[in-house]
Amino acid sequence: MSEYLETTIDKFIFRVATDRLYTPEGVWALLEGNRVRIGLTDYQQQLNGDVAFVHLKPVGTKFAAGDELAEMETIKATVSFFSPVSGTLIEVNPDLELSPEVINQDPYGKGWLAVIESARWEVDRAKLIDAKAYLEWMRSQAEQELKK
Amino acid sequence: MSSRTATYHTTVEWKGEHWGHLVMGNGPEYEFSAPPDAHGHAGVFTPEDAYVAAANTCVMMMFIWAAERFKLKLLSYECRTEGTKLIELDRTEIFTQLCFMPKIRVAANGESAEVVEARVRRALQAAQKYSLVANSVKSEIVVKPEILIEE
Repeated sequence: MSEYLETTIDKFIFRVATDRLYTPEGVWALLEGNRVRIGLTDYQQQLNGDVAFVHLKPVGTKFAAGDELAEMETIKATVSFFSPVSGTLIEVNPDLELSPEVINQDPYGKGWLAVIESARWEVDRAKLIDAKAYLEWMRSQAEQELKK
Repeated sequence: MSSRTATYHTTVEWKGEHWGHLVMGNGPEYEFSAPPDAHGHAGVFTPEDAYVAAANTCVMMMFIWAAERFKLKLLSYECRTEGTKLIELDRTEIFTQLCFMPKIRVAANGESAEVVEARVRRALQAAQKYSLVANSVKSEIVVKPEILIEE
């Protein structure tokens, strides 16, 4: 069971799971043995709106950290997300085909995107940030958004 | 002005008795009155109709947008919306509910009817959630859709 940091910005509450690492762009990476489960943060799912479709690269695709992993079409935007780690895509979330709204409903749980067999976790993890750092980064991003 | 805000305007002018003239910010002009049951005139624009119409038109436009985003092949959309007015004990009045009754026809377009209907329902939820007007009113919003998926 994940624990969360929580912050309120304007009238919105955002949660950040403490058991995983993050890219500043709002992709999380959770190490499970030599595999890394990947998903989007609560902030990203709220920022982009209700998800209509998610297009993931096919199983077997090899990634370098920073390669495009997924394109997400929401009611308001089409956005790309990039892999936080290097490795081979070995599993995609089967629920996303018919129920992509799980990303909105449970971004840190049932709304995961994919699992990558990590090629060099120790190298990649050095470029990721922990929950506390992501929370601060996300807060500054959200505050900038509000000032636009 | 912040890029997160926008302003819309209308102008009204009293034309004597229970008549007014309305100029919409987007161009059209209407004579208006109150409804006959509120000391107004039949056959013209009223604030009550305008309130219900604002919600109905806004939700429809948002549904059309949502249908495009959800890649639905929309064949037709028609929606009667009823606003329920309550006269309070102190004689103030409020629209307590807006009931939307959309009739929606969508082509299956090679997908199963269940999958398409689920997407239509999500598009309807999104239309309500993202409609500026529906999101701004304090009336309860009820949606009673009739959805037909055609081969």
